[in-house]
Amino acid sequence: MNFLDIIDATVPGRLGNVSLGLPGGKLVGLVGPNGAGKSTLLRVAAGLLPSGGSVAWNGRPLPGISALERARCAAWVPQEAHFEFGFSVRSVVAQGRYAHGDDDSGVEEALVRFGLSALAERPVNHLSGGEKERVLLARAIVTEAPLQLWDEPLAPLDPRHRLEVLVLARELAQKGSTVFLSLHDLSLASSLDLLAVLSSTHLRAIGSPAEILTPELLLEVFGVRASEAPGLNFELP
Amino acid sequence: MRIFHSGKILPARSIRFALPALIILLGALVLAALATGDMPLSAGRLLAGLRREDAIAATIVWQMRLPRILSAILVGAALSSAGLVMQAYFRNSLANPGLLGVSSGGAAGAVFAIAAGWASVSLWFLPLAAVVGALAATLGVLVLARRGASTERLLLAGVALNALLGAVTSYILSRHIGLYERNAQILFWLIGGLEDRTWEHVIIALPIVAAGLLLLPLARSMDLMSLGVSEAQSLGVDVRRVRRQMLALATVLTAVATAIAGAVGFVGLVVPHILRLLVGPEHRRLVPLSLVGGAVFVLACDTAGRMAGGIQLGIITSVIGAPFFLWLLRRLP
Repeated sequence: MNFLDIIDATVPGRLGNVSLGLPGGKLVGLVGPNGAGKSTLLRVAAGLLPSGGSVAWNGRPLPGISALERARCAAWVPQEAHFEFGFSVRSVVAQGRYAHGDDDSGVEEALVRFGLSALAERPVNHLSGGEKERVLLARAIVTEAPLQLWDEPLAPLDPRHRLEVLVLARELAQKGSTVFLSLHDLSLASSLDLLAVLSSTHLRAIGSPAEILTPELLLEVFGVRASEAPGLNFELP
Repeated sequence: MRIFHSGKILPARSIRFALPALIILLGALVLAALATGDMPLSAGRLLAGLRREDAIAATIVWQMRLPRILSAILVGAALSSAGLVMQAYFRNSLANPGLLGVSSGGAAGAVFAIAAGWASVSLWFLPLAAVVGALAATLGVLVLARRGASTERLLLAGVALNALLGAVTSYILSRHIGLYERNAQILFWLIGGLEDRTWEHVIIALPIVAAGLLLLPLARSMDLMSLGVSEAQSLGVDVRRVRRQMLALATVLTAVATAIAGAVGFVGLVVPHILRLLVGPEHRRLVPLSLVGGAVFVLACDTAGRMAGGIQLGIITSVIGAPFFLWLLRRLP
């Protein structure tokens, strides 16, 4: 049974008839040009945006799952978060335990894992973009939700933290979770198990990176071609 | 003043003493407010008055000062906690209880009651008209903003309704230019004050206690809501239910406070803000603290106004609140 089943998801002007099924234990990338509908699809998958069609987790249609139970099934990381108030880093991460009765289990480990221990008492609205992203990811991890939906988690991170997040995502997948993350870096994307390609609000292709990232698709969807130049992955046609 | 790297003014270990300290301060203020006034009472006479052993002191304490003090406490608790809820709802520390037209609706209702002459018929009519006006305004905003009531729509509907209700109030005021007494009554009400509050007003204000208690279990959800609606939903908050409850409680608190004291400003903005600087943004702490802190602030302002020869509460809250607030802002990093 798939962890995530989306059938004919439609959000007028933002997403058109997208259907996909993601099995458990996979690290899945979502790529596509700006405005292709990646964030919208992740919000629909997380049950945060009403859409035409249907969404099911583990075979259970979303409308039948209560708010608390949803939070234990799926975690969502927004593309960017605006923190108006100065909650401490630790308390924001601990919010991931809201649906578990605020038991704080795993919070310290997550702080260590994301290199946030030294920042734990700092107000989150004073952090840099990359540090905030790590706080959001740590909060998603402590939910222990088997379906992890991350909207461009790597973009604000430095090279080292990008790799650490990918390693962590791989560990989660090996433990049976499914991590579905949007990203723009196609060379990082090629290291994932599966890739879904969105183009102009429609699902263009889904499959292994090797099958998907063909020269024809790169040119058609992204308007680039693989480069021969050293150190440069892509170039304008 | 030191600002700790946690962003709070109080060091972590002192935060848990903030609530007991405020409660003690409130108790001391109540005693001071009972003793001071046109006819100051010594500790002995105050005690005799409270025990009804001294007829004159008993009248002053039980009929004049105590209803006013309790009104101040309830109004302060209501405005401050309503401000806190609105700030969490709109995720903006500049939000205030009047944002959605509750206060101006209450003002329009009360001014209408005064102008129509109802206010002099019964003591109950003026507060009742204010509550009806406030609730009607909120209902109006919700209808205008329908369809899930997104934050932006609500805010804009509130702005529009505030303007409209302000115009209604001004129109009524302008039609009574010649009627000095009625206009003075309207003006008094628009400034906001606690003069001559009676036990009836305290009874009208009792829903504030219930609404305040209902806020406590919402505190944790308000933490998550104040960081984003989608985020809160994804973390397990029943967003629709919590938003409805927050809006309903803030409306009742503001409506009742407006009905008792008129349009008192600044409390709902400044008190939660100061408390947040002191102890941080967790609502588990902020909800009880803003109930007590608002009571302390309004009672202190009202007592100061009485001691200064009867300056109305609505003037004092701004005169004390604004400079203090500015001073605090200057000290922040």
